[in-house]
Amino acid sequence: MRTKLTRWLFWGALTALLLLLPFLLNFYYLNMFIAFAVYSLYAVTLNILLGYMGVLSFGHAMFFGTGAYTVALVLRHIEGFPLIPTILAGGLAAGLLALILCPLLVRVSGTAFAMLTLAFSMVIFVAALKFREVTGGEDGINIAAVPPLKIPGLVSIDMTDKIHFYYFAIAVVALCLYLLWFYTKTPFGSHITAIRDNALRMDYLGFNLAQTRAINLLVSGTFAGIAGAVHALLMKLVSTVGVLDINTSFKPLMMAYIGGIGNFFGPLVGSAVLHILEDVVIRFTDRIGLINGAIFILVVLFAPQGLIGIFQNLKAKRSAKERS
Amino acid sequence: MIILETKGLYHAFKGLEVLFDVNFQVEEGERHALIGPNGAGKTTLFNVITGHYHATGGQVFFKGKEVTRFTPHELTRMGMGRSFQITSTFGRMTAFQNIRQAVLSKNKIRFQMFRKLDKMQAITRETEEMLKRINLIEQRNIPAGMLSYGKNRALEISMALATDPDLVMLDEPTAGMSRDETRTAVELIRHLTEGKTVVIIEHDMDVIFSLADRITVLHYGRILATGTPSEIRDNPAVKEAYLGEMEY
Repeated sequence: MRTKLTRWLFWGALTALLLLLPFLLNFYYLNMFIAFAVYSLYAVTLNILLGYMGVLSFGHAMFFGTGAYTVALVLRHIEGFPLIPTILAGGLAAGLLALILCPLLVRVSGTAFAMLTLAFSMVIFVAALKFREVTGGEDGINIAAVPPLKIPGLVSIDMTDKIHFYYFAIAVVALCLYLLWFYTKTPFGSHITAIRDNALRMDYLGFNLAQTRAINLLVSGTFAGIAGAVHALLMKLVSTVGVLDINTSFKPLMMAYIGGIGNFFGPLVGSAVLHILEDVVIRFTDRIGLINGAIFILVVLFAPQGLIGIFQNLKAKRSAKERS
Repeated sequence: MIILETKGLYHAFKGLEVLFDVNFQVEEGERHALIGPNGAGKTTLFNVITGHYHATGGQVFFKGKEVTRFTPHELTRMGMGRSFQITSTFGRMTAFQNIRQAVLSKNKIRFQMFRKLDKMQAITRETEEMLKRINLIEQRNIPAGMLSYGKNRALEISMALATDPDLVMLDEPTAGMSRDETRTAVELIRHLTEGKTVVIIEHDMDVIFSLADRITVLHYGRILATGTPSEIRDNPAVKEAYLGEMEY
């Protein structure tokens, strides 16, 4: 009973905090918080592959970037396109990319999977860079204004308002995180982890490995696309550097590893750490990569289960002590 | 009725021929032991039958249907279960989760992503029942990789059986077990395979003669003899090739 009450209190407090945040933070930090949320979602989608299925995607930016570019293109070329379908289009386009690539990607694992994803993301990066007429090359595409959130017959909420957009973005990210968390708790989620643990055994239990892997890839790609879509609306500018480059692929990877890939919420912790760190470090030096890299190395060396892993170990030790 | 049959099966690894013209038949409902010296091709025969490798020549029939080029998951769905010589459980998942995975397969729950697994009571009950039957209920929350060797083996065998197959292929189920563990495992197998067809690879002669209805002897990739345990015991060719030094 007590655990249930604490859980309700925790979620209640968190919701209250999220609702009150715009009144506690200035716009700079509010934007940073949205960026943190978007990257959390993005890193979680990567972890659905990395932690749950056991394959390392070195080119996850292709899904994120496809989502972002889709949003930018849709808003530029289709006047009055509504907000929710815009976000969905981003997810759908990324899902479509995953669908196209999955016949190749499900056949490999380990290093080959990492290299293939890296290769495909580089192809898409270069294509976006060179196909100037459509993508604007290095300059990218501007998003003039975020369309209003229209609920037919009810209201039309202006999304150019920072606070409104904050609520909207957080709601989208929270919903996606909930769906993904739920997904990992379903039988299908269990099949994914079982394939990571022992693919041969899963084959001999009658599960079609290629199909199962492909669906998981699709889910991961689609939600990464949605993260990219929200990111595009937040930044109001989509260009190759920022949504498709190798850095965009590595960032969620570092977040997942620093937070802990063995836990659903690990990437959120990693995302928080990197965003806070960036804000602090930039006051002293431009060399953020140096600090991030050092932390990454330390975590990999001394806490392979990530920061959440350290916390869980401490908890396990304490409860073991209490029992004895 | 014949449930499993191979016709003129050949298999070679990069020119190294392992199986020659193997004509192997398993009757429905029998416990059939496959024996032979190390390197005779027993596990390869298993791998070819269960779809892990595709035969270089010949055909495999299961339940009267040709399945030569079927994949393991297709064969499993047709009712073939398999355990491995080298323990192949889900190491990081608990004993409960291991068995549950097999129970999910048995119930054909392959693409369910709209219900929480913990809330599926029928699955949980069925899994717990199986854990009780195999005497692992107390270790239910221990990861398979941290179980004792004997318990992990029991888990391995049970997973092949938890999908409720019609034909069970057991590859050296008692490999590496102590005497006591072997006795328990044999009882477990006998108990769990009641009414099923079993093909079992085994080295332990006590296990074979106490479990098997029929025995096939494989020697350098060829079938040397097939028959009841007493026929095999008295077969001169088998004696020379395999049972030779043993006293029977």
